[in-house]
Amino acid sequence: MLQPNRTKYRKAFKGRIHGNAKGATSLNFGAFGLKAMEPERVSARQLEAARRAIVRHMKRQGKMWIRVFPDVPVSKKPTEVRMGKGKGTPELWVVRVKPGRILFELDGVSPAVAKEACELGAAKLPIACKFIVRPTEA
Amino acid sequence: MAEIDKIAAELRPRSGKSSARAARRAGQIPGVLYGGEGPPLAIALNRRELDRELAKGRFSTRLLDLEVDGKVERVLPREVQFHVVTDQPLHADFMRLTAGASVTVMVPVHFVNEVDSPGIKLGGVLNVVRHRVEFRCRADQIPEFITVDLAGRAIGDSIHISAVKLPEGVTPTITDRDFTIATIAAPTLKLEIETPAAAAVTPEAAAAATPAPAAPGKG
Repeated sequence: MLQPNRTKYRKAFKGRIHGNAKGATSLNFGAFGLKAMEPERVSARQLEAARRAIVRHMKRQGKMWIRVFPDVPVSKKPTEVRMGKGKGTPELWVVRVKPGRILFELDGVSPAVAKEACELGAAKLPIACKFIVRPTEA
Repeated sequence: MAEIDKIAAELRPRSGKSSARAARRAGQIPGVLYGGEGPPLAIALNRRELDRELAKGRFSTRLLDLEVDGKVERVLPREVQFHVVTDQPLHADFMRLTAGASVTVMVPVHFVNEVDSPGIKLGGVLNVVRHRVEFRCRADQIPEFITVDLAGRAIGDSIHISAVKLPEGVTPTITDRDFTIATIAAPTLKLEIETPAAAAVTPEAAAAATPAPAAPGKG
């Protein structure tokens, strides 16, 4: 699973996700991609599940790129613990995804395989996504 | 030279976001026409007409005849902005062309003979470094695309601009180096078997590996 090697601070504020993505909104590497349509925190585990679903459907062909990195630690308190006494311990890593952000890019497979792979990957994510194709140039 | 399509536009009375939003509310796409000898004009295009031209492809390398309030001008589309979520066009820029003008354009790259590439036959992936290449040429000589021949290319090969036969009068804007257009890479996808050690890494462990934060300094 993706996670930072080292961080400056152990814990982060929860934060809120406002507005649409300002960068990473178009395909940079591949011919196909998966674009987020909703704002949400996506965990490293969900990204890994999506990545596996996509890779397995592509059957060792083609190439894929992950355009997001989960670098926000999320803390949780243990069960049956009273409120207070400080913030809980970091439990997982997430990425704050804004609508319009490209999550994955694929290349080297047919459009039909890429679409099916992206649909399987999108099913592992907590947000609505759409399959996008590089615009035709000719 | 290919047939030049015609697209109609209306003048917008004002520039700025209120005028642009008003045009969008009216089902039009705001745009601007600039360059050449005339003044810059705020225009509004018919959404359906613009969509049709965009769907034809090669929008930014195709000359168009833009009719603004009855006056037809030869233009080159320079930019189309799209909404990041809906991918609908939001704004279009057009540049007037004068006779014999040279322009800098991004020309798409086409790859041929993939089946004759031993690298791709062996499972290699065509890794396109530049889907479009910037060229300088006369406005009436913009190539539709440049063709890269993949015949005989093996895994690990790089295809540079020097290997591409360019039409006459077309020069790349990058002249200081022989830049790469594509490579044939080995497939990177593997069906990994998750090891228990890899699965056991938690944010707590990563946090433990981080050095102690520096003493907070204020001001």
